Amino acid sequence: MLSQRSRMLCAKNCAPGAETMVDMRVAGCLVLLMLWSGSGALKAAPLDEAAERYRPYMIEGIGDALAGARELRERAAANDLAGAKKAWISARAGWERSEVFTAGFVPELDAQIDAWPNADSGFHAIEAKLFGAGRADVESDAEALVENLNNLHGKLRDMPLPPQGLLDGTVRLAYEVGESKADGGESRISGTSLDDMRNNVAGIDFAYRTIFADALKTADARLADMVTSRIDQLKACIAAPDLPHVDIRTLRRASEELVVSLQAASAKLGLPRPTLEAQWR
Amino acid sequence: MTVRHAWVAFALGLLLFGIQARVAAFPVDGDQTTLPAKTELNEDALDKPREVFRSEIAGGKSYSVNLGNLAFSSPSILGEVARQAGISCGTCHVNGAGNAKFFMPKMSTRPGNFDTTGPLFNPKANNFVLDPVRIPSLRGARYLAPYGVDGRMPSLRDFVHNVIVNEFAGPEPSPVVLDAIVAYIQDIDFLPNPSLGPGGRLVGKITESERRGEALFAKPFPHDPGMSCAGCHIPSGGFVDHRQHEVGSGGLFKTPTLRNADFNAPYFHDGRFDSFDQVVAHFDRVFDLGLSAQDRNDLVAYLTAVGDGALPYERDGAGASLKEIDDFASVLATAIPAGDKDIVALAVDTIGLELRELTERYPDRKDTSISGGEQERSLARTALKEIVLTLRRIEMAVAEGRINDASADYRLYRNLVAAAVPALLTRAEPWSLFNPAVHDQHYGALRQVMQSRHSSH
Repeated sequence: MLSQRSRMLCAKNCAPGAETMVDMRVAGCLVLLMLWSGSGALKAAPLDEAAERYRPYMIEGIGDALAGARELRERAAANDLAGAKKAWISARAGWERSEVFTAGFVPELDAQIDAWPNADSGFHAIEAKLFGAGRADVESDAEALVENLNNLHGKLRDMPLPPQGLLDGTVRLAYEVGESKADGGESRISGTSLDDMRNNVAGIDFAYRTIFADALKTADARLADMVTSRIDQLKACIAAPDLPHVDIRTLRRASEELVVSLQAASAKLGLPRPTLEAQWR
Repeated sequence: MTVRHAWVAFALGLLLFGIQARVAAFPVDGDQTTLPAKTELNEDALDKPREVFRSEIAGGKSYSVNLGNLAFSSPSILGEVARQAGISCGTCHVNGAGNAKFFMPKMSTRPGNFDTTGPLFNPKANNFVLDPVRIPSLRGARYLAPYGVDGRMPSLRDFVHNVIVNEFAGPEPSPVVLDAIVAYIQDIDFLPNPSLGPGGRLVGKITESERRGEALFAKPFPHDPGMSCAGCHIPSGGFVDHRQHEVGSGGLFKTPTLRNADFNAPYFHDGRFDSFDQVVAHFDRVFDLGLSAQDRNDLVAYLTAVGDGALPYERDGAGASLKEIDDFASVLATAIPAGDKDIVALAVDTIGLELRELTERYPDRKDTSISGGEQERSLARTALKEIVLTLRRIEMAVAEGRINDASADYRLYRNLVAAAVPALLTRAEPWSLFNPAVHDQHYGALRQVMQSRHSSH
């Protein structure tokens, strides 16, 4: 259905009958997208146990981010710019390793913590002050970051971890890693976009190996090899000394071939086809 | 100034102001980029030059023209630096026109020019002199031999080859791709100008000033009766004489066309002049023409009338982007059945890059500068990502010799881009960067953040 705003726009701008036509076209699109999403046989139970093995990694990653944020808060209070920058980078690493699950499992917190470009709080707001303006007065921002990360950390032990959600997150992150960084990337002010990518790929690698690799090897060894080789290609790309030397074309190819492989893997694993955007299924 | 002149000036003012205001663009920045910080590519401009193809008027573009357009838009035919930076021929020659806002530190001295023998893209071609040349429009290039600002190359094919291999350090292009790029460039027409009649004469409702300017244009120079403006810019289809001349600008340079020149600023071989007024003043001074203020105004009026073109800009949007992508993708209809791995790879790489850029026109939910339309944006992004992956599956299938699988995915692609994807993009457009208000909010936020960086260093 069209949103109220779309209806108003359509009522203002479309000829009589056009809204119905748009409705039908959009309905057709949604059907196609549902077909894209596919429907695997529901035999994912063995993966539930494997997904549990991801939990300690998740807790450790957010724990590292939280420890870094607390250190950042202290360094900011001491007006220690160099120390605050170092703590920000440390906190950021833990967060980026955890992006396989953050966007899909805690979208509201994710949007607050990783908002971009001119956020009021969160990593990038602090980045702009520390690395852009060269100011260490980020105490209140750091406090909000600590609070959000602490809130998230407290939920992790009991948070349900459906394998589908983790596959969705792995696929989304694999696609994102292949995006162009020609403009300096997401963390361009601090110059740490390549670190973001390395931590993202580490998260993808761990999630795949821990949760899905064994089951896929059993179901389709060739496909499992393909996934592994594409992850290895991503690792090779981001081993470059700096962002300008990352082979962007090879990175994008590896990213997309990994996603294509994981889409094919979902059927073999008895899971629906993974989604490519958070909050849409 | 006549009423018509006043209107033209007013319209140009509005247009220029509108463009300037709209494309207060976001330059490349940070210290982790391939291109120098503060590079301005003007890629986020909402108004793009309109491209007119000869073959579209004749019925449709050929495989070769579409392949050439694809290659022209592909960083992968150029060398490593350009590939890493996402620079293609089309970065400078936007839709075959120039790029007056383009500026690259170390390679430009002003917006609109570029040093093809500079240090960045091919150190071997570096002449250690900052001597940029104006980025020319390619409209009507088939009428405008010889090529290069100094007219050093009679063959467009040789010129294109030199740009790819020497100036941008690209790999040796295949003859098919090189011929295709030439076919594409030769297919780009001038924008039509209803004020120009046979023999390059002004026709229709011509002002007195324009008529006087036309006469002055053909009048012999007072101190050299063998010369006149029209002696080099011969009133004709191209307003050129295909020769090089010394006109007091520091060397021999070929006569540039006046067709569509209203949209080709800056002027002269190095782009030193911003306006026809400055150009006319230069000739008046160098050739001691003794022009009165009225004469100068009349010549500018004439040049403006000759240099006009219908609908020079068009608003960028999902429709225009998808149409171009659709033209690019049409080469797959030939390349897949032929099992042509190289062309399929070129198409998938180039279209994928374009689609990823188009995806970012629909900001994700983390973008703080935009509110509303979350589901619409998410669906648009999903649809575009699915197309990217469908194309990648095609490439993988062709590489493995699975032509039937590739053909099936190509049919899926065609079905999706025919209706479903345009509908989703249209639905999300109010919250996309194609909406001027959203565009300005988004880039304003980016500039605000990046300014914090520069204000402290």
